[in-house]
Amino acid sequence: MTHSNGLPRGGVNPPDSSLISREAPIANAVVPSVAVIPMLQHAGRAAVCVVKPGDLVREGMLIGRADGARSANVHSSIPGRVVEVRRVALQEGVSSDAAVIELGGEFDRSGRPRTLKEWEKLSRIDLLGRIQSAGVVGLGGELVPTHLKLAVAPGMSGSLLVANGIDCEPSLSADYALMREKPGEIVESLRICQVLVGASRVVLALGEDAEGLVPEFERALARASLQCEIALMSSRYPQGNEQLVLSSLDGARPSRPRAASIVLNVATLFAIYEAVVMDAPLIERVLTVTGAPVASPRNLKVRLGTPVRELFDDCGGLLAEPGKIVVGGPMRGVAIASLDVPVTKGTAGVIAFAGAEARTRKEWPCIHCGVCMEVCPWDLVPTRLHKLIQQGEIEQAMGEGLGRCTECGCCAFACPSHIPLVDILRTGKRSRGRAGDG
Amino acid sequence: MAETSKSRAPGRLTLSPAPHFGAPTSTAWMTWIVSLSLVPAAVWGVFLFGLPAVRVIATSICVAVAAELASSALFRRFTLADGSALLTGLLVGLLMPAGAPLYVPAAAAAFGILVVKQSFGGLGRNWMNPALGGVVFALLSWSSAMTRWAAVGDASVGTAVVPPLEALRSALSAPGAVGRPLEILASHGYVFSSLDGRIVSWLNSHVLSLFHAALAGGSFDILVGYVSGRIGEVSAPLLMVGAAFLLWRRIVRWQVPVAYIATFAFLALVFGGLAGGQGWFSGGPLFHVLSGSLILGAFFMAGDPVTSPLASTGSWIYGIGLGLLTFLLRFYGSLGDGVAVSIVLGNCAVPLIDKLVLQHAPARAREGI
Amino acid sequence: MTPSDVLSRGIPRDDPTAVLLVGLCPAAAVSVRVIDSLWMAAGIFAVMLLSGFCMALLARGKTNDGEVAPRAAAGGWLAALVISSFLTASFEIVLLRAAPEASAALGIYAPLIAVNCLVLTVIDESSRAPSPGRALLDAAGKGAVFAACLLLIGVFREVLGAGTITLFPLSGFSGTIVIGSLSRDPARAISFAGGGLLCLGYLAALARAVKERRL
Repeated sequence: MTHSNGLPRGGVNPPDSSLISREAPIANAVVPSVAVIPMLQHAGRAAVCVVKPGDLVREGMLIGRADGARSANVHSSIPGRVVEVRRVALQEGVSSDAAVIELGGEFDRSGRPRTLKEWEKLSRIDLLGRIQSAGVVGLGGELVPTHLKLAVAPGMSGSLLVANGIDCEPSLSADYALMREKPGEIVESLRICQVLVGASRVVLALGEDAEGLVPEFERALARASLQCEIALMSSRYPQGNEQLVLSSLDGARPSRPRAASIVLNVATLFAIYEAVVMDAPLIERVLTVTGAPVASPRNLKVRLGTPVRELFDDCGGLLAEPGKIVVGGPMRGVAIASLDVPVTKGTAGVIAFAGAEARTRKEWPCIHCGVCMEVCPWDLVPTRLHKLIQQGEIEQAMGEGLGRCTECGCCAFACPSHIPLVDILRTGKRSRGRAGDG
Repeated sequence: MAETSKSRAPGRLTLSPAPHFGAPTSTAWMTWIVSLSLVPAAVWGVFLFGLPAVRVIATSICVAVAAELASSALFRRFTLADGSALLTGLLVGLLMPAGAPLYVPAAAAAFGILVVKQSFGGLGRNWMNPALGGVVFALLSWSSAMTRWAAVGDASVGTAVVPPLEALRSALSAPGAVGRPLEILASHGYVFSSLDGRIVSWLNSHVLSLFHAALAGGSFDILVGYVSGRIGEVSAPLLMVGAAFLLWRRIVRWQVPVAYIATFAFLALVFGGLAGGQGWFSGGPLFHVLSGSLILGAFFMAGDPVTSPLASTGSWIYGIGLGLLTFLLRFYGSLGDGVAVSIVLGNCAVPLIDKLVLQHAPARAREGI
Repeated sequence: MTPSDVLSRGIPRDDPTAVLLVGLCPAAAVSVRVIDSLWMAAGIFAVMLLSGFCMALLARGKTNDGEVAPRAAAGGWLAALVISSFLTASFEIVLLRAAPEASAALGIYAPLIAVNCLVLTVIDESSRAPSPGRALLDAAGKGAVFAACLLLIGVFREVLGAGTITLFPLSGFSGTIVIGSLSRDPARAISFAGGGLLCLGYLAALARAVKERRL
């Protein structure tokens, strides 16, 4: 077990309310009576819907076929009947087709004993095929189809395979809970990936506050005879970011281009396990439901397509009228306009805010305190960038590193004048993107 | 599972961009805290100088607030809530001598708010400290009124009316002044308080005689701040209490005042004794650090984030530059104690310092994509 | 372009001090007293008017579309500068006789009128003017505005910086209006050069604000 260098620079320690929910066992969310399953739940081209209204679907049946190489399959998470296929608005102004399925019929997989499939005898192509057909994508947030990530030539010298067990956002503890309950499965999945990738070094990255999980993982690694280091990293946000994890491991700057490193989130690893060993498609995920007005915040295992409204019901309901609901984490999540938004593959958490917390804080002028510069993990000077963007000097801003911004939110979090820096920087990047390629 | 408390349909949900929470600080709160941390020094000033001090401080605060109200109303904004007008007024008042005629703090406060701050766009857009801009304007316009010192307490205390620094400068301008600052003052008949006399002699005879050392008369007065001077500058301990609070809450960046005072003290030590015939490395650094508005300026005005450099490297450069400037202006110039003017000049150089530091930021910042 | 156009254009668009920002040296240095501002304005006005007129006369008939051939332009410039120097020297002599105090106050800025940026700008524009009459009108417009600005700054600076207003002495009137309380302890910084630049800056800002609201 090694202690890594910690965050190269910057980062913030926001108040973390995940401690409320993380030690509790993961509860199963109630199966939704109506599931809205979008065809675009990943990075790339939307899947093509292969069902039409009136079709009967089974649990785990393919309802959206991947459209080309850079796409992923979509499966039905509940058995039932397709009511309609309509356009739904997703976040960030993107919309896609979605199949609306009404619950009905028998469950093929839930509640039945599961048989482990032999996977060691499968060829590389078959392994990747299982992962691809199950529709596994990067559940840590980037949503890149995993089979693309793993389809690298095995045994490249100096390659590094990292299992990222650091919850990417404060207040979210789904990854921690998953690691606590399923260490063996995650280790097995890591073995699968190591067979596929043939990395020379395998690392399991954990946050410092997950130190209690180390013994269990050491045992699981020993049982699986997998040669893997366990690296403890700081629990400062945004240590969970892929580039920062790699930077903490090798000590070089975060933005340095790195060859042959593969970082997989533990939720993705679990999905790989389910795909390869259980031959089960990706139809559910663990997420954190939290927030002050939530009666009993906890981690839930949720079927994809469940409306957010029902998640709060699973947590004992909302104690107060919510002023804001965020899908994702508090630092990078997106506020939604209605409780009917469905859970998708990329939903790592749902947070409710009420009262003063939900209100936007009053904005003051910039006072050049320089705190944004101190906390930026990417060595940017957000106050300068924001001034340049407001003056329309986007090219100049790009020259000063605007392209490196990952919208982590540290600068806006720390700003005493409550300037919406992330929004401004994102607008700047978008206006550049419009001029260049899409 | 609660059956009754199902999720109610929300009225209207706020749609705001990430991040959805923030650190518990606010610019307005910080400014109010700075004003609060000046209160001990202000109270001491009122205790020393009485009603005239109250009038001066009240005038400058009222004029500053009125000026801000009037000018922000022109742009249909209400900016008093950020507390900066009050802070400017308070600082201007504290930098005035207690006997100043009231039009001086009024004009200084109005100049600071209207010309130095509001004309450039209000809070955050000013490139010069508003209080100091006003004070320098007053220094140049009414130089005699700015030296209308008031007696400490009532006449019965009997201490000298002129502050120690001014008395030292006038003593040094005449030939034949020899010795350390307090010795020169003593030989020129500068009167400290009787309390000081008693304490110093007690310490000398009971404690310091063991070490074969002796405190000069007046040390207690200067350390505690029981001397004449501008209203807010005299009491170093009370100013430091406020400053310690600001440093603890990280409202003021510590690099600037530390670099400033250290540089100045070092230069005063090395060169300060020359005028008094003491030779090199024997100036009176403690005397010079404690006299004039150095502590007030270093912690409460040089460290002001709006007019100081962005990066900490720049803060060091800035602080050292200020120390050098103050030393030159105080020892070889004629503009009072040199603090206000040197900070104003330093403010002018801050954008240049920022540019140099950020341009030469190590290559790490430009690595990668 | 009618005469009224020239004058109305002169104020917002071509205002020398506030918009074109030429001729600033005398404006900042000399406007400490009202009487000095008045004399300076008078001097520049006279020199500008007559030099412009002469230049327009000289430039006449060179080409059809107002463009002056380079060598001819050089010759014309030389002539115009000689004329303006002559006029400046005349003005200096008049000033010395009529108001020695003001002459001493203006100091070096009186002879510098000959090469004042404003005068040179007017000479330059006059060489391209359609007719000497038009050139005269243009110069008069600029000069009038310049005089007004200088007077404004002079009043402001003298009232706040010295507490007086100094004008021509007439019978029974010493020439100086003293504003009681202000003159006892005025804001001397305004009569320094820095104060002058500050006033100029605000005048320029005011001119721009007025112009942009008119747009």
